[in-house]
Amino acid sequence: MNLAFVVMLPFLGACLPPLVERVSANRTLMAFAAALMPATALALLVSPAMQVFAGETLHSTLPWIPSLDLSLAFRLDGLALLFALLVLGIGLLVILYARYYLSAKEKAGRFYAYLLLFMGAMLGVVTSDNLLLLVVFWELTSLSSFLLIGFWGHQTGARKGARMAMTVTGMGGLALLAGVLLIGDVVGTFNLQTVLESGDVIRSNPWYPVILCLVLLGVFTKSAQFPFHFWLPHAMAAPTPVSAYLHSATMVKAGVFLLARLYPALAGTDLWFMLVSMAGMLTLLWAAFVALFQHDLKGLLAYSTISHLGLITLLFGLNREMAAVAAVFHIINHATFKASLFMAAGIIDHETGTRDMRRINGLWKYMPYTAVLAMVASAAMAGVPLLNGFLSKEMFFAETLGSHQLGALSWILPVGATLGGVFSVAYSARFIHDVFFNGEPVNLPKYPPHEPPRYMKVPVEILVALCVAVGVFPAITVAGLLAVAASATLGGTLPEYHLSIWHGFNLPLVMSFVATIGGVLAYTQRRRLFDVWARLPQLDAKLVFEGRVQQIGRWAAALTGRFQNGSLQSYVAWLVTLVAVIMLTQLAPLSGLDLSQYSLPMDGVAILCTAMLVAAALLTTVLHRHRMTSIMSLSVVGLMVSLLFVRFSAPDLALTQLSVEVVTMLLLMLAMYFLPVRTKVESSSIRVIRDILLAVICGAGVATLAFLVMTGETSTISQFFMDNSKPGGGGTNVVNVILVDFRGFDTFGEITVLGVAAMGIYALLKDLELRSAKYDSLGRPWARDAHPLILVTISRPLLPLALLIAVYIFLRGHNLPGGGFVAGLITSVALVLQYVASGVGWVHSRMPGDYHPVVALGVLLAGLTGVGSWAFGYPFLTSDFTYIYWPVVGKFELATAMLFDTGVFLTVVGATLLMLANLGKLSLLDDKREDA
Amino acid sequence: MDSLIEWAVSIFVIIGGVFALVGSIGLTRLPDFYTRLHGPTKATTLGVGGAIMGSLIYFSWQEHALQLHEVLITLFLFITAPVSAHMLAKAAMHRDLKRMRETRGEPWKQ
Repeated sequence: MNLAFVVMLPFLGACLPPLVERVSANRTLMAFAAALMPATALALLVSPAMQVFAGETLHSTLPWIPSLDLSLAFRLDGLALLFALLVLGIGLLVILYARYYLSAKEKAGRFYAYLLLFMGAMLGVVTSDNLLLLVVFWELTSLSSFLLIGFWGHQTGARKGARMAMTVTGMGGLALLAGVLLIGDVVGTFNLQTVLESGDVIRSNPWYPVILCLVLLGVFTKSAQFPFHFWLPHAMAAPTPVSAYLHSATMVKAGVFLLARLYPALAGTDLWFMLVSMAGMLTLLWAAFVALFQHDLKGLLAYSTISHLGLITLLFGLNREMAAVAAVFHIINHATFKASLFMAAGIIDHETGTRDMRRINGLWKYMPYTAVLAMVASAAMAGVPLLNGFLSKEMFFAETLGSHQLGALSWILPVGATLGGVFSVAYSARFIHDVFFNGEPVNLPKYPPHEPPRYMKVPVEILVALCVAVGVFPAITVAGLLAVAASATLGGTLPEYHLSIWHGFNLPLVMSFVATIGGVLAYTQRRRLFDVWARLPQLDAKLVFEGRVQQIGRWAAALTGRFQNGSLQSYVAWLVTLVAVIMLTQLAPLSGLDLSQYSLPMDGVAILCTAMLVAAALLTTVLHRHRMTSIMSLSVVGLMVSLLFVRFSAPDLALTQLSVEVVTMLLLMLAMYFLPVRTKVESSSIRVIRDILLAVICGAGVATLAFLVMTGETSTISQFFMDNSKPGGGGTNVVNVILVDFRGFDTFGEITVLGVAAMGIYALLKDLELRSAKYDSLGRPWARDAHPLILVTISRPLLPLALLIAVYIFLRGHNLPGGGFVAGLITSVALVLQYVASGVGWVHSRMPGDYHPVVALGVLLAGLTGVGSWAFGYPFLTSDFTYIYWPVVGKFELATAMLFDTGVFLTVVGATLLMLANLGKLSLLDDKREDA
Repeated sequence: MDSLIEWAVSIFVIIGGVFALVGSIGLTRLPDFYTRLHGPTKATTLGVGGAIMGSLIYFSWQEHALQLHEVLITLFLFITAPVSAHMLAKAAMHRDLKRMRETRGEPWKQ
């Protein structure tokens, strides 16, 4: 069975709850729909799990992007199995829990969809057998957790918390990506198995410190280790099922999972020890200390989670095999007791309406059953004997005692560990005592609180039962899973150890004893501790973070505003300056131009045309304030250019240039209607000089470039096109064959851009209101005869004639100058003539005036033609052609390129008419306003 | 080339050229807008028409088949030139341009 399929199941399952939500608002039904796929995945994992317990490692690989060494490679070894069970198992419990947690008003379908997306991403992280794939899933967990934390998007806290979590873990993800890329560079592959086996290569590489730091950045941000711990408490704005799932059992465990996963590849050095264990120790102590002072129930649990993650990190950092076993064990234990605690906190929040421990007191009387469950779970968190937390905490104490890597300062580790234990007992005591005893509840929003629905307690019961079972009978419950997971972490070897409750009277037991007594003492003396806390400077991470974010936003806005200031002239100036700089730097080192190489014959016509071109261009610039004259002289430029194209045997270009010229003139005229006939002098002379300089430099540069290209001795691919146009593309017009066949993908891209531009113009012009001048330049009202009879009468019979020519040009395009682009322009011009002559109303009463579907149809047709070649086993946009004999016409060529060209044709017609017709319609608004 | 054909082509091209030249001179020399309007219309119809006839004969003889593309061009010109002249005249009247005393007719409100 393919592992990839199992990983895909939650992603598939994410579609189900929203679909159910459309049909019915029944939350139970949605919960079942959500649970379907994870349950299937869990069932499918049973038989592979047996193989893993037998000592096998399962792999499955599907190629994805082989050139990047990125494949859909999945593996199932002990570690992956352990995490997969956590993700799916606790996931199922959370789905059940959320069914009762979410109120009927909330969009449960969407919630479940996000949850399943996250589940799939997490499952992907833990089963990836390719480091790049792991990073992909890693980022997916960040994204989906953003959606989950921000699920109550109407609350500012939720939005800010989600953004903060996203930013911090996202940055970490980027660092991780960099680290993974370096690992891939060092090892030569991203295959996890190979990477794990080449630990020595990585550790001896000079880049090792960089790799380690980058990977650890990813780990520490994800697992909320100091100094990146601040996002986790703010992520508590999420609905409690999310906190129970993401912030206790799964997502924050992704970081420590990665420590375990890469343990054989990266661990074992002094640097690893210093960075990982010190970060872990600091986190453990600081978070455990802060947890004691939280008044928010979930805040306490959040800091306690950070502290326990610190404990796990510290264990991995010790570079001792037994410590890694203890770390894996604590991952399991923490997931069970913390998830149940979060769920219990959610129940309390649900039933009392608040999470403030100063108000929730004495709940023992109101919900004794929940109280028992929560008390057992928090006893496990404190490390009370006969519960699972005790076992791993004992191992933790033993390992800190056994580490001598700090030399004479080695005593710091066990002392720190005991201190952490003290705080952990203290905040557990506070959780139990403040919430369930300590007098009467104060001013609860919901009074009196009562037990939650029966099935809301089931997930908590299951998890608490697991805590007890593991705590009492470790050897028959968890030992097997722990053994395979730990041996996978350590790369196959497993140290000698025994899971039992009683190890004899030894130092770790003494430390446990001290921690318990100390914790209880600390709790009884909490008034003094609170006084100390009150005198500490308070720093709200959210405020600091938001401040920074807004500051960066302001900087970015200021920087953008400098360049993107709304002045089109300045954009062009920037662009042209850049071009000028590039050309100056690139052209300057070249040797002088050899004018004698210019080999085209010069004749009178060409010289005359060129001279007129130059004169007209100059005139356009000089007269630019007299818009009409300037446009006229611009059209002379266009005409001369197309004549020169004809002169230098580029009939295709000439045809296109000519039709583009007509459309451009029409467009300019339409736009001019809204502009004053003359413009004032607005630019200073410095600016004029600057613009002249820029223009001269760029013009000279382009001329030089063109000259160099034309006289250069470089070999070009033109000959290939010439040779293959007929046999390969079936057309003798090389230009057209290049457009629709050789470089068809380019053309496809271009018409897409054209389509997008047309849509943009459509969006800009939609609902735009422009006031046009009522009078012409002489102060006269516009002529009343808007549609002169002669023009109307003549233009109508012209339409079929022009369309005939368009068809002709289109059909011959493959072999003679023409093609879809020119034909499209001719059609557009013919139709625009009808608009001009007979008016928008007349045209739109005879044909639909919506052109955006035409554009879309064109792009779609061209795309489908390209896709069509897949059906015959050829690459995208392979063209085929054949010859058929028609009775009258004779031999006639049919090419798939023609279909593609039809797409081009439609896009051009649609885009051109969309622009012109919509711009033209603007001038009608005034008339409408007057009519109204 | 057959000399008859050569003669025919030459005559048409020359006719076309003369009309184009006369039209262009008229465009610059005639005194007011309405009279100047006559120049380019002559050039586009008769001038281009002559050149097109020459081209038609030449290519039909060259290709040994009747070439009708040119006829189409003539057709389009014959249709469009009067319309553009008409529109120009209307615009001129609307803008109440100066007239020579000899220019007959009165502009009316457009």
